[in-house]
Amino acid sequence: MISFILMVNKQGQTRLSSYYEWMDMQERVALESEIIRKCLSRSELQCSFLEYRGFKVIYRRYASLFFIVGTKADLDVRALDAPGSTAENYENELGLLEFIHSLVETMDRWAGSICELDIMYQLEQVHFLLDEMVMNGYIVETNKSNVLRPIDLIDRESKKTEGMFR
Amino acid sequence: MSGMHLSKEFFELIKSIGESKSKQEEDRIILNEIAVLKKKLENDKPGSISTAIPGAPGGGVASSGNTLTTNKKKAREFLVRVLYVEMLGHDGSFGYIKAVELAASQSIVHKRTGYMVCACCLSPEHEFRFMLVNQMQRDLISSNLLESCGALIAVTSLITPDLVGTVSTQVIGLLDHNAETVRKKAIVALHRLYQLSPEAVPQNELIEKVRKMLCDRDPGVMGATLNVIESLARVNVAPFKDLVPSLISILKQICERRLPSEYDYHRIPAPWMQMKIVRILSVIGKNDVQASEGMYEILGDCLRKAEEAGINASNAIVYECIRCITLIYPNPVLLDAAGSSISRFLSSRSQNLRYLGVTGLASIVERHPKYAADHQLAVIECLEDKDDTLLRKTLDLLYRMTNPVNVEFITDRLLHFLRGSTDPYLKKDLTGKICTIAERYAPNNGWYVRTVTELFKIAGDLVDPAVATNLMSLVAEGTGNEDGDEEADMVLRKQAVELYVTLLASAPNRMNRVLVETLAWVLGEYGYLSSIMSLDAIIDGMCKLLQSGNTAKLGGGAPSTRRLILSAIMKMVSQYGSCPAAAAKVIDDYTKSSDPDAQKRCLEFQTLLTTAPHLLVEVFPVDASLEDVDVDENLSFLNGLVAEAVSNGARPYQKPEDDDDDDMYSGSLSAETANAFKMTPYEKPTQTYAQGRMAGMGSTNMGPGGAANTPLPPGGSPTHHATPNPVQAVNPAQPQLQLRNVANVWGKQAPLPPAPAAVSTPHVPAPASYGGVGGGFASPAPASYGGFGAPPTPAAAPVKTAEQLEKERLAAALFGGISATTQTPAAPPAHPIPVATPQMSTPMVSPPIPAATPVAAPVSAPAPAVTAPAPEMDLLDMGSWGADTGAMAVATPSTIDMLAPTPIAEAAAPAPPPPPAPPAQPEQTPAPASIDPFADAGLLDGITSAPLSSFGLSDAMGSAKFEYGGVAVAPLTITTPQFGERWGQCPSTHPVNVPSSSSASTLSKFMDICVRAGMHKVEEIAATNEGICACMAGGGTAVALVHGKISPFSGGQSRVDVTVKSTDPQLGGTLAMYLQNMIR
Repeated sequence: MISFILMVNKQGQTRLSSYYEWMDMQERVALESEIIRKCLSRSELQCSFLEYRGFKVIYRRYASLFFIVGTKADLDVRALDAPGSTAENYENELGLLEFIHSLVETMDRWAGSICELDIMYQLEQVHFLLDEMVMNGYIVETNKSNVLRPIDLIDRESKKTEGMFR
Repeated sequence: MSGMHLSKEFFELIKSIGESKSKQEEDRIILNEIAVLKKKLENDKPGSISTAIPGAPGGGVASSGNTLTTNKKKAREFLVRVLYVEMLGHDGSFGYIKAVELAASQSIVHKRTGYMVCACCLSPEHEFRFMLVNQMQRDLISSNLLESCGALIAVTSLITPDLVGTVSTQVIGLLDHNAETVRKKAIVALHRLYQLSPEAVPQNELIEKVRKMLCDRDPGVMGATLNVIESLARVNVAPFKDLVPSLISILKQICERRLPSEYDYHRIPAPWMQMKIVRILSVIGKNDVQASEGMYEILGDCLRKAEEAGINASNAIVYECIRCITLIYPNPVLLDAAGSSISRFLSSRSQNLRYLGVTGLASIVERHPKYAADHQLAVIECLEDKDDTLLRKTLDLLYRMTNPVNVEFITDRLLHFLRGSTDPYLKKDLTGKICTIAERYAPNNGWYVRTVTELFKIAGDLVDPAVATNLMSLVAEGTGNEDGDEEADMVLRKQAVELYVTLLASAPNRMNRVLVETLAWVLGEYGYLSSIMSLDAIIDGMCKLLQSGNTAKLGGGAPSTRRLILSAIMKMVSQYGSCPAAAAKVIDDYTKSSDPDAQKRCLEFQTLLTTAPHLLVEVFPVDASLEDVDVDENLSFLNGLVAEAVSNGARPYQKPEDDDDDDMYSGSLSAETANAFKMTPYEKPTQTYAQGRMAGMGSTNMGPGGAANTPLPPGGSPTHHATPNPVQAVNPAQPQLQLRNVANVWGKQAPLPPAPAAVSTPHVPAPASYGGVGGGFASPAPASYGGFGAPPTPAAAPVKTAEQLEKERLAAALFGGISATTQTPAAPPAHPIPVATPQMSTPMVSPPIPAATPVAAPVSAPAPAVTAPAPEMDLLDMGSWGADTGAMAVATPSTIDMLAPTPIAEAAAPAPPPPPAPPAQPEQTPAPASIDPFADAGLLDGITSAPLSSFGLSDAMGSAKFEYGGVAVAPLTITTPQFGERWGQCPSTHPVNVPSSSSASTLSKFMDICVRAGMHKVEEIAATNEGICACMAGGGTAVALVHGKISPFSGGQSRVDVTVKSTDPQLGGTLAMYLQNMIR
């Protein structure tokens, strides 16, 4: 399952973080900064996967922004195992690498060619979009139309309500 | 887009965060922002009271009269700013309450923002999560599908285990919602609820829903459901087995592009769904031939189509297919296809594809090593790659490729990488892997000791303590097989000692506990063997180590570690003969130790040293660590005898729980663990001494174990005579085959077992089984005494001549080091041989009886036993000799010649290669005992006229139907599902583990054994090397089910794990015993 999805720029500044398993703030900060450091230390010629603290991490760089997905074995399987032992993580690295691209394509379709600043200004909408694609650490939707339909609906509603307050 | 209605403030904030060039700058911005936000919140409070009053006081920051409470848009912006605060690593808890408030908003965008900020910020323990439940309940049943969706997302991320019950009904209700987007989220949310609290969401209900949702008319709902199925099936595959046709049909439709093109990604139809389905198929097809066969076609299609596309998304599908093909029941065509895909990946220039190639190769080589051969060069290249990730995966591949030939190279590589690694996860993983391959494939003991010690040095804190225990017993026991001569063992000990002496001399500043303890034990036991440092120098070194104030040097300096070092010093002082000043001081120091145990040891030692120094040698016997007597209070070693007696009609002794087989196993286990650190026995010096001596004398042992035997031998032996089935006669020898510690007891009363062996001799047609018998009871002794069985013997038993020793050595060579040493404790076999030879061909009924008596006699009179046994014991011993060589006697006309020890040795001289004693044995400590008896039989088969003996063997086997209550069992014809059903219903379980067997080295051999025993072959699963059989007794009143797993290792041997389940504990127990005998 996906444990977290991060968007971090090459200065190590987090632009979006979504965790599918609770982690407290200190852990998050440490994890994000260490992972981005690891990603930055790797060259274009190296593979897009790394292992970090038991996570299988898949990352992809778009201009200055890194999209990072961290995975672990399924929660159900881990619950089965005795503490300490590591359940096998069957996530498909290349599949997730392509999922990142699918996410970026979906965002592109939603807001035109999207850039780091776009994400920053529309943080909550990007969260909504991600929530449509990933739930409970699973990829639930990759059909772009299906993903964007509710987002557009929300958008339209919000314009209506905002109009009332104007 | 709402992004266009940003307030200036928010716009400036994002701009400044975006432009900040350092973390410090960013922190400053955020800290300032926190102050601003808090101010807003404060202003909001009075404002909220006076919402009706325009221009409420304190509106400095809030630009207009609109407060956060009245202006939801402002509140939403406020929350996004709080989200930024949290995301950038600062505490935004002051604003959480606004998020909860906003979740109750009428507007969907505000509501979603409220839920989303809560999901990102509220810890599972946060009380606000509880406050949201009410709102979620309301939204779940809302008629607005956006609200339902928002609530389902919130449920997935915000519900805690204790709250599951509050929303589960509504979530289940939404599974039938009209909108597919709601159904899709509902099934995922329901799975989440099940993960949180399996009690609140019944599993069967969830499974039922999941199966229904898989057939949803909307592909998106189906796709989401696949996730849930995979996750659940990984835990319990049974409820999903019958979904294979549905899954295949779905996959087929996807592959044939029957899904709307919106699901395509780069012209590949729904790649993630394809991957998911293939992954689910791999879970279902694992260990299931039938299911696997059903998926071959679609997997082939799917793989081929993906191969054709040749882009990343399709390569991901190819990779998924490769993994699936290697996991399910193998199909050669698919495997070849997978192999060529792997080749393509490995030779790719894309590093990502090479990574997949390496992991794909790792998954295929484990079961199909031939595919590795083509890629040696590629693998070596990956090993030298600078990419850390690729390197790790390659190491994992190496680990899976390890075999006896390459183990040294691979272990070196892994150790090298371990040394340079800092990641604790990786270190732990590597440590485990090194231990596994070192144990499984060590080429020799010296290498093993060096490797494990090196591992201790690098990562001792991560090593399983059992590894240290194994290492110590290996040093103590030596090879214990094949060339089990004392010399080799001594060489090993010497190597180990030199290794640790060097370590002690170099005194690294940091040693971990396991290293210190192993060092202390090895030097304490065998320090005198060192040639590079004198014993007193070692004592000195140990004293320094103990006194060093640096606890890092002492592996943390736990009291138990200190005690171990103290004991080591004491042992060495005793070996040395006098107490060096340093040792005296240390011991004196520790008489004031705060650790009562250490204090007691030191006081005792001091007393001994001053009052009776001559006793020291006896308190600390040299090289006697294995001679401590384990009292097996369960008398589990007699179970075989009892079972046999019972099967011959004796009245069974009813224990209250009636569960003696389980006792046997747990007993053996605890004995094993109890033996872990061999320090304790020395606390009772006199007893240990007595027992050690007795054993050394080669006489029967009078220890508590021996005494416990007393009642049975006389009663036990007669029953053997009545044994109708020669194979059954093996029983008494059996239990101890795997019970290393119990073996002590057996070794000492070795004279007893010959009785059955000799008795069964008349049933000549089963020579092979005799070999087994002889080996069977012969082996336990060496298993326990190991290599050092020999030295005490010559010292203690003056009867032995050099000639005898030589013969023993030859016999050792012949019987893989095991039978030879057996005779050592039993009695010298030499002279009685001529006497006994005729007995081999004449009915052997009488000799064993007198033989048995003397065995019993010494039990009550230990002293005479030392001298008395010689003649009688010889006779007895002949029994074992006869048994050992029984096959030969039968196979060749010149019985006498064959029995004379020397010719045997000659005859067997070419034989040692065939006994497949693989290098792995020494570490699998229990293994040697069971290996060699069979090696004997195999060996005899090989050197004598093969047809005859093998005929004899099959004859014996043929008549080997398993009998229960005097009646042969009947095959129980059931199917695999029925088997599965009954499996759960059988109350009694009897595991049988044979660490190394050649009679059941393959699955079909094992199945043959079962079928010959009278069982029905239910299923043979070649993919996993597992088989199941069933039989019934008493006309169906009792049923026994057998599950066997064969794990082959090198040299034609296999580890065999059998589980016998039965409705009748007695049937199960005796069947388990029987199978254990047959599988050797």
